[in-house]
Amino acid sequence: GTGAKEGKGWKRFQSYKGEAGLPREVENLRVFVDRKAQTVILPVHGFAVPIHITAIKNASKNDEGDFTFLRINFQTPGQLAGKKEDTPFEDPDATFIRSVTYRSTDGHRFDNVYKQITELKKEVTKREQQKKEMAD
Amino acid sequence: MTTQFDSIYHGLSPHLGKFRIAASGMAWMNNETKEVVATPVAEIKWAQWMRVARNFRLRVGLKEGRRREDFDGFLRDDQEKLASLLKQHFGVILEVKDVSFKGWNWGATDFQGQDLAFLVSNKTSFELPLQNVANSNIAGKTEVSLEFNTSASPSKSSKHAGDEMVEIRFFVPGTHTKDSGSDAGSKDGEKDGE
Repeated sequence: GTGAKEGKGWKRFQSYKGEAGLPREVENLRVFVDRKAQTVILPVHGFAVPIHITAIKNASKNDEGDFTFLRINFQTPGQLAGKKEDTPFEDPDATFIRSVTYRSTDGHRFDNVYKQITELKKEVTKREQQKKEMAD
Repeated sequence: MTTQFDSIYHGLSPHLGKFRIAASGMAWMNNETKEVVATPVAEIKWAQWMRVARNFRLRVGLKEGRRREDFDGFLRDDQEKLASLLKQHFGVILEVKDVSFKGWNWGATDFQGQDLAFLVSNKTSFELPLQNVANSNIAGKTEVSLEFNTSASPSKSSKHAGDEMVEIRFFVPGTHTKDSGSDAGSKDGEKDGE
């Protein structure tokens, strides 16, 4: 049981209750942003892997020749050396996905996905901030 | 008697095909190339059912060299039908593999045959076929990165192509020696020395 280790202040979040919640678009095996579920769905060797925006730190994009690379960084412990962690974790001793990088020749679409992730992250962060201020 | 399922994919191939099942075995035929992947009854050892990106997957374990075949594109309603066909024709139980949709980026890794599986709350989140790993790296004792083989040329850049994952990085704090006694103060400013 990791209950005792559960980080203080960690707030439970969940993308989908079950497989039926997945949007149709995952069939395309492409990175997809599901705004309604506040989730980015990653295609990983045939699996549809949802990652909630809360677990996402940021995204970056760069072009190299014919390809565009999209990298998504995730919240993990041990990233703020010397600083106090402000993101609590349910199980800090678990194995974390720290980042994934995708490649596509469709730079336009990756541009869009990058913008959608960045905007969704901004939106959710702002809302959390407002909630905190209201609570104070 | 043969039962046919339309619109089925073989492995991660982008081509649709027809999947047929009969007492003699199973066969998948590519709609475009007419290429056939046939699995005779004597080869079939086990079967699994799981949700993947392209709806549901039938995974069939083969006797030969611990190989297996994946067929994607089945519908939820196909499960019962498929389960009874597999039992009737091959005496094989269609086991259900639970998949996580929680949206968490933490869990545990587990080596399962030729795959590295990532489990969230003990359910599969995804599998990484190790034969596709081109390179791996360990940085700072707690970070493991895996790079995947990718096609060199963008020739197959069809409009229907999926996104290629080229790299994944894991943070593995468990590989670090834990100091269970005093955790206050030891978490920040970890030094590299042992």
